[in-house]
Amino acid sequence: MSVQGPLGPAAGPAVERYLAEVTARLPGPARAHSGIVAELRSGLLDATDARRSAGLSAAQAARAAVGEFGDPALVAEGFRAEIAAGQARRAAAALTVTGPLVGLLWIAAAATSHLRVGLAPPWQQAGLPPVVRVGIYPVAVAAVLTACAALVVVATTGRLTRWLPARPRRGPTAAAVAGFGAVCAEGLGLALLAAQLVVAPGKLSLLPAAAAAAAATVRLVFARRAARRCLAIRAALT
Amino acid sequence: MKAEALKGHLDGILLAVLEAGPRHGYAIMEALRVRSGGQVDLPTGTVYPALHRLERAGLVRASWSEAGGRRRRVYELTTAGRRALDTERGTWQDFSAAVTALLRPASPAASLP
Repeated sequence: MSVQGPLGPAAGPAVERYLAEVTARLPGPARAHSGIVAELRSGLLDATDARRSAGLSAAQAARAAVGEFGDPALVAEGFRAEIAAGQARRAAAALTVTGPLVGLLWIAAAATSHLRVGLAPPWQQAGLPPVVRVGIYPVAVAAVLTACAALVVVATTGRLTRWLPARPRRGPTAAAVAGFGAVCAEGLGLALLAAQLVVAPGKLSLLPAAAAAAAATVRLVFARRAARRCLAIRAALT
Repeated sequence: MKAEALKGHLDGILLAVLEAGPRHGYAIMEALRVRSGGQVDLPTGTVYPALHRLERAGLVRASWSEAGGRRRRVYELTTAGRRALDTERGTWQDFSAAVTALLRPASPAASLP
Protein backbone atom coordinates (compact mmCIF):
# COMPACT_ATOMS: atom_id res chain seq x y z
CA MET A 1 0.00 0.00 0.00
CA SER A 2 1.72 3.20 -1.12
CA VAL A 3 0.13 6.62 -0.81
CA GLN A 4 1.78 9.38 -2.81
CA GLY A 5 2.34 12.38 -0.52
CA PRO A 6 3.99 15.67 -1.43
CA LEU A 7 7.37 14.28 -0.45
CA GLY A 8 7.04 10.95 -2.20
CA PRO A 9 5.38 7.70 -1.16
CA ALA A 10 4.27 7.58 2.48
CA ALA A 11 6.31 5.13 4.48
CA GLY A 12 3.71 3.16 6.35
CA PRO A 13 1.82 4.03 9.52
CA ALA A 14 4.53 3.50 12.15
CA VAL A 15 7.11 5.63 10.36
CA GLU A 16 4.64 8.38 9.43
CA ARG A 17 3.34 8.51 13.00
CA TYR A 18 6.89 8.88 14.30
CA LEU A 19 7.68 11.63 11.77
CA ALA A 20 4.49 13.43 12.76
CA GLU A 21 5.58 13.34 16.40
CA VAL A 22 8.96 14.82 15.48
CA THR A 23 7.55 17.59 13.26
CA ALA A 24 4.98 18.52 15.90
CA ARG A 25 7.91 19.47 18.13
CA LEU A 26 9.83 21.42 15.50
CA PRO A 27 9.56 25.22 15.72
CA GLY A 28 8.79 27.54 12.85
CA PRO A 29 6.77 27.06 9.66
CA ALA A 30 6.47 23.64 7.98
CA ARG A 31 8.43 24.66 4.90
CA ALA A 32 11.51 25.10 7.07
CA HIS A 33 11.39 21.41 7.97
CA SER A 34 10.46 19.71 4.72
CA GLY A 35 14.10 18.81 3.96
CA ILE A 36 14.65 17.41 7.44
CA VAL A 37 11.48 15.31 7.29
CA ALA A 38 12.43 13.90 3.89
CA GLU A 39 15.87 12.99 5.16
CA LEU A 40 14.56 11.32 8.32
CA ARG A 41 11.97 9.42 6.27
CA SER A 42 14.60 7.97 3.93
CA GLY A 43 16.75 7.04 6.93
CA LEU A 44 13.82 5.26 8.59
CA LEU A 45 13.02 3.45 5.35
CA ASP A 46 16.64 2.31 5.06
CA ALA A 47 16.54 1.05 8.64
CA THR A 48 13.26 -0.74 7.97
CA ASP A 49 14.67 -2.39 4.84
CA ALA A 50 17.75 -3.55 6.75
CA ARG A 51 15.55 -5.24 9.33
CA ARG A 52 13.28 -6.82 6.74
CA SER A 53 16.26 -8.38 5.00
CA ALA A 54 17.21 -9.76 8.42
CA GLY A 55 13.90 -11.61 8.43
CA LEU A 56 11.45 -9.39 10.33
CA SER A 57 7.97 -8.70 9.00
CA ALA A 58 7.20 -5.26 7.55
CA ALA A 59 5.38 -4.13 10.69
CA GLN A 60 8.06 -5.45 13.07
CA ALA A 61 10.82 -3.92 10.96
CA ALA A 62 9.11 -0.51 10.98
CA ARG A 63 8.60 -0.62 14.75
CA ALA A 64 12.22 -1.61 15.32
CA ALA A 65 13.49 1.16 13.02
CA VAL A 66 11.37 3.74 14.81
CA GLY A 67 12.51 2.46 18.21
CA GLU A 68 16.15 2.64 17.18
CA PHE A 69 15.72 6.25 16.08
CA GLY A 70 15.07 7.36 19.62
CA ASP A 71 12.74 9.68 21.48
CA PRO A 72 11.07 12.10 19.03
CA ALA A 73 11.45 14.89 21.60
CA LEU A 74 15.23 14.43 21.62
CA VAL A 75 15.44 14.32 17.84
CA ALA A 76 13.37 17.51 17.56
CA GLU A 77 15.48 19.20 20.23
CA GLY A 78 18.63 18.40 18.28
CA PHE A 79 17.22 20.10 15.21
CA ARG A 80 15.96 23.15 17.04
CA ALA A 81 19.30 24.94 16.96
CA GLU A 82 19.63 24.18 13.25
CA ILE A 83 16.21 25.53 12.40
CA ALA A 84 16.84 28.61 14.53
CA ALA A 85 20.08 29.34 12.70
CA GLY A 86 18.38 28.93 9.31
CA GLN A 87 15.54 31.25 10.26
CA ALA A 88 17.93 33.86 11.62
CA ARG A 89 19.97 33.80 8.43
CA ARG A 90 16.94 34.10 6.17
CA ALA A 91 15.64 37.02 8.21
CA ALA A 92 19.01 38.77 8.11
CA ALA A 93 19.30 38.24 4.35
CA ALA A 94 15.82 39.61 3.69
CA LEU A 95 16.47 42.67 5.86
CA THR A 96 19.84 43.34 4.21
CA VAL A 97 18.37 43.16 0.72
CA THR A 98 15.22 45.21 1.38
CA GLY A 99 16.96 47.89 3.47
CA PRO A 100 18.82 49.64 0.65
CA LEU A 101 15.87 49.16 -1.74
CA VAL A 102 13.43 50.94 0.53
CA GLY A 103 16.16 53.46 1.36
CA LEU A 104 16.43 54.33 -2.32
CA LEU A 105 12.68 54.92 -2.46
CA TRP A 106 12.96 57.31 0.49
CA ILE A 107 15.82 59.15 -1.16
CA ALA A 108 13.89 59.31 -4.43
CA ALA A 109 10.89 60.73 -2.58
CA ALA A 110 13.07 63.39 -0.97
CA ALA A 111 14.96 64.20 -4.18
CA THR A 112 11.85 64.58 -6.35
CA SER A 113 9.98 66.65 -3.80
CA HIS A 114 10.09 70.41 -4.05
CA LEU A 115 12.13 70.63 -0.91
CA ARG A 116 15.23 72.04 -2.57
CA VAL A 117 17.31 69.19 -1.25
CA GLY A 118 20.78 69.00 -2.68
CA LEU A 119 23.82 66.85 -2.19
CA ALA A 120 24.60 68.24 1.26
CA PRO A 121 23.91 66.07 4.31
CA PRO A 122 20.37 66.35 5.75
CA TRP A 123 21.27 68.62 8.64
CA GLN A 124 22.53 71.27 6.21
CA GLN A 125 19.41 71.23 4.09
CA ALA A 126 17.56 74.47 4.71
CA GLY A 127 14.60 73.25 2.69
CA LEU A 128 13.74 70.53 5.22
CA PRO A 129 11.70 71.39 8.30
CA PRO A 130 13.77 71.21 11.54
CA VAL A 131 11.96 68.15 12.82
CA VAL A 132 12.92 66.21 9.69
CA ARG A 133 16.47 67.49 9.72
CA VAL A 134 16.96 66.24 13.28
CA GLY A 135 14.88 63.12 12.78
CA ILE A 136 17.23 61.73 10.14
CA TYR A 137 19.79 60.92 12.84
CA PRO A 138 17.84 58.21 14.69
CA VAL A 139 16.83 56.70 11.35
CA ALA A 140 20.50 56.44 10.40
CA VAL A 141 21.36 54.92 13.78
CA ALA A 142 18.59 52.33 13.42
CA ALA A 143 19.72 51.46 9.91
CA VAL A 144 23.34 51.00 10.99
CA LEU A 145 22.20 48.88 13.95
CA THR A 146 20.25 46.64 11.59
CA ALA A 147 23.24 46.24 9.30
CA CYS A 148 25.59 45.38 12.17
CA ALA A 149 23.12 42.92 13.69
CA ALA A 150 22.73 41.23 10.30
CA LEU A 151 26.52 40.80 10.14
CA VAL A 152 26.46 39.23 13.61
CA VAL A 153 23.81 36.78 12.38
CA VAL A 154 26.02 35.72 9.48
CA ALA A 155 29.01 35.36 11.79
CA THR A 156 27.19 33.25 14.37
CA THR A 157 25.35 30.95 11.97
CA GLY A 158 27.87 30.11 9.30
CA ARG A 159 31.42 28.92 8.77
CA LEU A 160 32.75 30.69 11.85
CA THR A 161 30.78 28.29 14.03
CA ARG A 162 33.51 25.72 13.58
CA TRP A 163 35.83 27.85 15.72
CA LEU A 164 33.43 29.71 17.97
CA PRO A 165 31.85 27.89 20.93
CA ALA A 166 28.32 26.72 20.27
CA ARG A 167 25.88 29.43 21.37
CA PRO A 168 22.73 28.73 19.39
CA ARG A 169 20.85 31.68 20.90
CA ARG A 170 23.18 34.31 19.45
CA GLY A 171 21.99 34.05 15.87
CA PRO A 172 18.27 34.42 16.61
CA THR A 173 19.00 37.21 19.12
CA ALA A 174 20.98 39.18 16.55
CA ALA A 175 18.29 38.57 13.93
CA ALA A 176 15.63 39.88 16.32
CA VAL A 177 17.74 43.00 16.95
CA ALA A 178 18.12 43.49 13.20
CA GLY A 179 14.36 43.11 12.76
CA PHE A 180 13.48 45.60 15.47
CA GLY A 181 16.13 47.99 14.11
CA ALA A 182 14.39 47.89 10.73
CA VAL A 183 11.02 48.44 12.42
CA CYS A 184 12.46 51.57 14.11
CA ALA A 185 14.07 52.87 10.95
CA GLU A 186 10.93 52.50 8.85
CA GLY A 187 8.67 53.69 11.65
CA LEU A 188 10.74 56.83 12.13
CA GLY A 189 10.81 57.38 8.38
CA LEU A 190 7.01 57.23 8.27
CA ALA A 191 6.79 59.57 11.24
CA LEU A 192 9.07 62.07 9.50
CA LEU A 193 6.93 61.83 6.38
CA ALA A 194 3.88 62.57 8.51
CA ALA A 195 5.70 65.57 10.02
CA GLN A 196 6.50 66.87 6.56
CA LEU A 197 2.84 66.44 5.58
CA VAL A 198 1.78 68.48 8.57
CA VAL A 199 4.35 71.24 8.11
CA ALA A 200 4.48 71.70 4.35
CA PRO A 201 2.39 69.18 2.40
CA GLY A 202 2.59 71.14 -0.79
CA LYS A 203 6.31 70.55 -1.12
CA LEU A 204 6.00 66.77 -1.25
CA SER A 205 5.98 64.87 -4.52
CA LEU A 206 2.96 62.67 -3.97
CA LEU A 207 3.68 59.52 -5.97
CA PRO A 208 7.29 58.90 -4.84
CA ALA A 209 6.33 59.71 -1.26
CA ALA A 210 3.40 57.27 -1.39
CA ALA A 211 5.63 54.59 -2.91
CA ALA A 212 8.23 55.05 -0.19
CA ALA A 213 5.56 55.00 2.50
CA ALA A 214 4.00 51.82 1.13
CA ALA A 215 7.34 50.02 0.84
CA ALA A 216 8.37 51.17 4.31
CA THR A 217 5.12 49.91 5.81
CA VAL A 218 5.48 46.50 4.17
CA ARG A 219 9.09 46.19 5.34
CA LEU A 220 8.09 47.27 8.85
CA VAL A 221 5.38 44.61 9.08
CA PHE A 222 7.62 41.81 7.79
CA ALA A 223 10.56 42.89 9.94
CA ARG A 224 8.40 42.84 13.05
CA ARG A 225 7.03 39.40 12.18
CA ALA A 226 10.53 38.02 11.53
CA ALA A 227 11.88 39.50 14.77
CA ARG A 228 9.07 37.98 16.83
CA ARG A 229 9.51 34.61 15.17
CA CYS A 230 13.24 34.65 15.94
CA LEU A 231 12.55 35.57 19.55
CA ALA A 232 10.08 32.68 19.82
CA ILE A 233 12.60 30.22 18.44
CA ARG A 234 15.27 31.61 20.72
CA ALA A 235 13.02 31.03 23.73
CA ALA A 236 12.70 27.36 22.75
CA LEU A 237 16.48 26.87 22.74
CA THR A 238 18.34 25.83 25.87
CA MET B 1 28.92 2.86 25.49
CA LYS B 2 26.89 5.67 26.98
CA ALA B 3 25.68 8.27 24.53
CA GLU B 4 26.55 11.03 27.00
CA ALA B 5 30.22 10.05 27.06
CA LEU B 6 30.39 10.26 23.28
CA LYS B 7 28.71 13.62 22.94
CA GLY B 8 31.81 15.77 22.99
CA HIS B 9 33.51 13.64 20.38
CA LEU B 10 30.59 12.95 18.09
CA ASP B 11 31.64 15.61 15.57
CA GLY B 12 35.14 14.17 15.23
CA ILE B 13 33.80 10.63 14.96
CA LEU B 14 31.40 11.59 12.18
CA LEU B 15 34.17 13.36 10.27
CA ALA B 16 36.30 10.22 10.57
CA VAL B 17 33.53 8.01 9.21
CA LEU B 18 33.23 10.31 6.19
CA GLU B 19 36.96 10.30 5.54
CA ALA B 20 36.71 7.17 3.42
CA GLY B 21 34.09 8.70 1.15
CA PRO B 22 30.61 10.22 0.95
CA ARG B 23 27.78 8.49 2.81
CA HIS B 24 24.17 9.06 3.73
CA GLY B 25 22.77 9.16 7.26
CA TYR B 26 21.86 5.51 7.71
CA ALA B 27 25.14 4.29 6.21
CA ILE B 28 27.01 6.57 8.64
CA MET B 29 25.11 4.99 11.56
CA GLU B 30 25.96 1.51 10.31
CA ALA B 31 29.63 2.46 9.94
CA LEU B 32 29.69 3.76 13.52
CA ARG B 33 28.25 0.49 14.75
CA VAL B 34 30.59 -1.69 12.69
CA ARG B 35 33.81 0.25 13.23
CA SER B 36 33.32 0.44 16.98
CA GLY B 37 32.74 -3.32 17.12
CA GLY B 38 29.14 -2.84 18.17
CA GLN B 39 30.07 -0.64 21.13
CA VAL B 40 28.54 2.52 19.73
CA ASP B 41 24.77 2.37 19.46
CA LEU B 42 23.58 5.96 19.51
CA PRO B 43 19.94 6.73 18.89
CA THR B 44 19.91 7.21 15.14
CA GLY B 45 18.02 10.46 15.50
CA THR B 46 20.92 12.19 17.29
CA VAL B 47 23.27 11.72 14.36
CA TYR B 48 21.20 13.76 11.86
CA PRO B 49 21.24 17.05 13.79
CA ALA B 50 25.00 16.62 14.29
CA LEU B 51 25.47 16.18 10.54
CA HIS B 52 23.44 19.33 9.86
CA ARG B 53 25.56 21.23 12.34
CA LEU B 54 28.75 20.07 10.60
CA GLU B 55 27.26 21.19 7.30
CA ARG B 56 26.50 24.64 8.66
CA ALA B 57 30.08 24.92 9.92
CA GLY B 58 31.33 24.08 6.43
CA LEU B 59 33.06 20.88 7.54
CA VAL B 60 30.88 18.63 5.38
CA ARG B 61 28.98 19.19 2.16
CA ALA B 62 25.54 17.67 1.63
CA SER B 63 23.63 16.88 -1.54
CA TRP B 64 20.53 14.93 -2.46
CA SER B 65 21.08 11.72 -4.38
CA GLU B 66 18.55 9.37 -5.94
CA ALA B 67 19.15 5.63 -5.67
CA GLY B 68 16.73 2.75 -5.88
CA GLY B 69 13.78 5.11 -6.09
CA ARG B 70 14.68 6.78 -2.79
CA ARG B 71 16.11 10.25 -2.28
CA ARG B 72 18.86 10.36 0.32
CA ARG B 73 20.96 13.17 1.68
CA VAL B 74 24.62 12.29 1.11
CA TYR B 75 27.36 13.90 3.17
CA GLU B 76 30.95 14.46 2.08
CA LEU B 77 34.02 15.84 3.89
CA THR B 78 35.23 19.26 2.77
CA THR B 79 38.87 20.37 2.87
CA ALA B 80 38.15 22.25 6.06
CA GLY B 81 36.56 19.09 7.40
CA ARG B 82 39.72 17.10 6.76
CA ARG B 83 41.76 19.71 8.58
CA ALA B 84 39.33 19.67 11.51
CA LEU B 85 39.58 15.87 11.63
CA ASP B 86 43.38 16.05 11.86
CA THR B 87 43.11 18.60 14.66
CA GLU B 88 40.59 16.41 16.49
CA ARG B 89 42.88 13.38 16.20
CA GLY B 90 45.79 15.36 17.67
CA THR B 91 43.65 16.72 20.49
CA TRP B 92 42.36 13.25 21.33
CA GLN B 93 45.87 11.75 21.33
CA ASP B 94 47.08 14.38 23.80
CA PHE B 95 43.98 14.08 25.96
CA SER B 96 43.93 10.29 26.15
CA ALA B 97 47.68 10.15 26.82
CA ALA B 98 47.30 12.58 29.71
CA VAL B 99 44.34 10.75 31.24
CA THR B 100 46.02 7.37 30.83
CA ALA B 101 49.07 8.67 32.69
CA LEU B 102 46.92 10.13 35.46
CA LEU B 103 44.89 6.94 35.85
CA ARG B 104 47.98 4.79 36.20
CA PRO B 105 48.17 3.13 39.66
CA ALA B 106 50.38 5.02 42.11
CA SER B 107 53.90 3.59 42.68
CA PRO B 108 54.41 1.50 45.90
CA ALA B 109 56.70 4.20 47.40
CA ALA B 110 53.96 6.78 47.27
CA SER B 111 51.47 4.70 49.29
CA LEU B 112 53.71 4.38 52.40
CA PRO B 113 52.34 6.21 55.47
